[in-house]
Amino acid sequence: MLDRVLVVDDSNAIRAFVRASLEGSGRARTVVEAASGFEALRMLPRERFDVAIVDINMPDIHGLEVIKLIRASKAHHAVPVLAISSEGASRDRERALALGADGWLDKPFTSELLASAIEDVLGKRAKQGTP
Amino acid sequence: MTQRSNDGSLSSSSSSLAPAPRAALASPRTTEATYEFLAFEVSGDRMGLPLGSVKEILKLAPITPVPRAPGEVLGILSVRGRITTVICLRTKLGMVPPRGASRSARILLVDRGHEILGLRVDAVTEVLRLRASEIEPADAIGAGLAEHVTGLGRPNSAGGNVVSGGEVIVLLDPVALLR
Amino acid sequence: MSDEADRVRDEFLAESQEIVESLSRDLLLLDHGQKHGRADPDLVNSVFRGVHTLKGIAGMFGYRELSEIAHVLEDLLDHLRLGRVQLAQSSLDVLFEGVEVLQRLLGAIRGEVHEVDIASFRRSATALFGATAAPVTDPLAAYDLDPSMLGVLTEYEEHRLRTNAEMRVPLYRLRVRFALSSIDTDLDGLKSRLKPVAEIITYLPSVESSGDDTIELEVLLASATPLSDLRQLVGDAPIDAIATRDRPSRTMPPPPAGSGGGMVAPSVAPPAMRTGEGEGRDLAPRDAGAEAIAVRAVAKTVRVDISKLDHLMNVIGELGIVRSAVGRVLDRLGARSDLRPITAELHRIHRSFERHLEALQDGVLDVRMVPLGQTFDRLARAVRQVAREHEKEVRLVVNGGDTEIDKLIVEELIDPLLHLIRNAVGHGIESRDQRARIGKDPTGIIALNAYQKGNHVVIEVEDDGAGIDAQRVLARAVERKLLDIQSARDLDDQEIKQLVFLPGFSTADEVTDLSGRGVGLDVVRTNIGRLGGVIDLHSTTGIGTKFTLTLPITLAILSALVMRVGNHTFAIPLTVVQEALFLDPNAIRVVDGREMITLRGQSLPVVRLAELFRTGDPPRQRGYVVVTSLGQRRLGIVVDALEGQQDIVTKALGPSLASVRGFAGATDLGDQRVVLVLDAPSLLDEVLSADTRVASSSSHDLARGGPS
Repeated sequence: MLDRVLVVDDSNAIRAFVRASLEGSGRARTVVEAASGFEALRMLPRERFDVAIVDINMPDIHGLEVIKLIRASKAHHAVPVLAISSEGASRDRERALALGADGWLDKPFTSELLASAIEDVLGKRAKQGTP
Repeated sequence: MTQRSNDGSLSSSSSSLAPAPRAALASPRTTEATYEFLAFEVSGDRMGLPLGSVKEILKLAPITPVPRAPGEVLGILSVRGRITTVICLRTKLGMVPPRGASRSARILLVDRGHEILGLRVDAVTEVLRLRASEIEPADAIGAGLAEHVTGLGRPNSAGGNVVSGGEVIVLLDPVALLR
Repeated sequence: MSDEADRVRDEFLAESQEIVESLSRDLLLLDHGQKHGRADPDLVNSVFRGVHTLKGIAGMFGYRELSEIAHVLEDLLDHLRLGRVQLAQSSLDVLFEGVEVLQRLLGAIRGEVHEVDIASFRRSATALFGATAAPVTDPLAAYDLDPSMLGVLTEYEEHRLRTNAEMRVPLYRLRVRFALSSIDTDLDGLKSRLKPVAEIITYLPSVESSGDDTIELEVLLASATPLSDLRQLVGDAPIDAIATRDRPSRTMPPPPAGSGGGMVAPSVAPPAMRTGEGEGRDLAPRDAGAEAIAVRAVAKTVRVDISKLDHLMNVIGELGIVRSAVGRVLDRLGARSDLRPITAELHRIHRSFERHLEALQDGVLDVRMVPLGQTFDRLARAVRQVAREHEKEVRLVVNGGDTEIDKLIVEELIDPLLHLIRNAVGHGIESRDQRARIGKDPTGIIALNAYQKGNHVVIEVEDDGAGIDAQRVLARAVERKLLDIQSARDLDDQEIKQLVFLPGFSTADEVTDLSGRGVGLDVVRTNIGRLGGVIDLHSTTGIGTKFTLTLPITLAILSALVMRVGNHTFAIPLTVVQEALFLDPNAIRVVDGREMITLRGQSLPVVRLAELFRTGDPPRQRGYVVVTSLGQRRLGIVVDALEGQQDIVTKALGPSLASVRGFAGATDLGDQRVVLVLDAPSLLDEVLSADTRVASSSSHDLARGGPS
């Protein structure tokens, strides 16, 4: 079971969905929500989490920037990051992966897809951690 | 078999009653099955409603009459801020309407799904626990019963010996009654 | 878990509705901008982001059609924001149509609408996609940009950068440091200062130099304003020009005068946004300088189910009861001289309790209030749409969008207002040619005005069209047997025009020059009446028509007059009470079987409540007449006694009493008494329409107690 999962998305509904599906299924103990890039920025220095789920398309500070900051921070540089955005945004997807996202999940997604995408990014990080 | 209960304790305005099994009377599974009813008097007749269908028993409070409402509607009262319609069970069942106030009269709050209604009865007598064998389902009795009667209760009649002259309790179906 | 699922679904519905509403607002602003040749690229992107989010969440919650339509819109907007399709009236039409479809699909999910046609929107969208622009060559090479920075741009940001580069707009790099705690507001401040003169391409949080509590942002700007001017705007934050690799950039012309409103177009708006068909239809919503910013500033809010507020209101009602009870105890204590000091102290506490209770009540009422602006935005869309359908030119002028009214009232107002607006555009405003012929400005004007007046909100819908033709109304009313020619003779022109509100004046199956489509004005009047409001009409032939809606500010608390008939006590909202007077039994005349009195020279029909409700109370000689009025109609209600005025919270009667007419609900007066609240509109309808239908004596229904 994951202890803390960060979800950064400007949609209340998506955050509520992620929270309900992760906490409800027992996959995560706590889902920490950030409703904007700003909020994520504010949380990074003082929060601790096992996986970050980051929406790309947000106003002002968007997801690519949040991913870049996560990767650059001392505390979080090794945290698995799952980028989420709509299907078709292939340029943004490439960029997210280039900036250090470990996986990508197209919206819309189901609880099952979310769970398996999280498994994937955890697996990828674990491999990197043990060369 | 019959559990007589002190009227006073029941009529406290917030007595919360344990829910009774909502099983259909028509299909008692074993002879051991028992059902709880709230027994009351209406115009001299003894009647009962499944205990679980009665939310609350209120003492008779001032009821505001509603002009133009159907005859069985006594009026409205406020139960903790909610306006509740009170129906006179006597009028509803085609009996003589009550005259004036009565000290023993009670209002039963009964949930009919989308609304909680008050039912005025002449007196609340007891909580009855009836074994399945003490209940005659309406469809076993045959014709002559109104559709809001689910059966007749005959306390102490277990074993099939119908004691002649023993009291009979008309068991009402709250859903059909309040439709 | 299923509660949780419901909660998540509610969250979805609420968010979707908010998105659709803000799409609507943004589109109106875009429409306005497009017509003036300066559409804001930020708005296009914001609309894009809205449908993008909607598509995502709709898909997630299994609403396939909603997701599909959002997808179609998203594609279209993606083309628009990336400059592949031009923003023009034709593309705006498709966007508006799409938002309308989204609105209806949401209605269907809530169960309010049954069928939604999505096929015709699909066709419009496909037709529009026919033309896409050619790709462009990469002009970014000309700038000395850090490749790592380019890697963090989203596709849209890159497109905006490229568009500016193509036009050779100088680029600048600005470094700002903000405290993390106030970054939102700090950044908003920076944006609003820069917006008139520069386009912000992106904010890049800089990783290295950020401390725990502050963060440095690198802001990439495109601007034609000289560096020295930009420096003044940003204070001491360091700002540098980004060097170009080849020939120096040519200077851009200065921004056009008057474009500093903040709403649209930094001077660098690309050609793609600037061109369009320019059909000259001017349906400006309101000139919304500050509004675009305001729309984005509503983030710090919570959504509350209105039933929770009703619950709070009930609790406040109960507290009011406690207050009166304490007051009564105080009265009793007043007689005890031995307790005087302690009584005085209790008095002070009681007064303080009263004050706080009032503040609490005001506070909760305030939470229920919403500005009419959102409703007006929807109406602005309707004006645009209906005007295009009728090929008319209409300008909508809105005043008082910030006037606040109870949320529940707002919801019920939309349909009646839409009806009035459709009427005004469809039948009020003349065609362009006709207007030109009679020397009017070819563009018609519809004004929506809202303002507060005491405990009421007044909304006016006014057009400068042809006005209502009294003779045609009269002819139609007689033809429909709504009144006879005899009583018609007694009516003046304004009174005749009120006939359009009568049931049966227009019917659903016919469309006339005077009525709207579907429901008639009688339904509008009934719906307004149900809210405790009234509608009046004033029309001058050739000059225009004005509908005036007067509504209570809130449904939650009403001042009511408490009155008695025999043993019965009733309350009536003071909003409909004009006055109450002592009844002189000798003044009653009987005309056509109806009791009437004369009030200041005018006839007033009266009805005895005891008879109307058959309370069984013996008729009394003495009593009071409570004069009630709704719009133009008046009725005197005769009661035995008046008990006084009281603030009440009306509560609904149970469903078992739904068929009983004449009562709006009941209220707890506090002293263990529940009293019925009269439903004045329904009583007036009942008593007065009983004889308008028989076309014998109708004059008093139509006019202010017209001569009889």
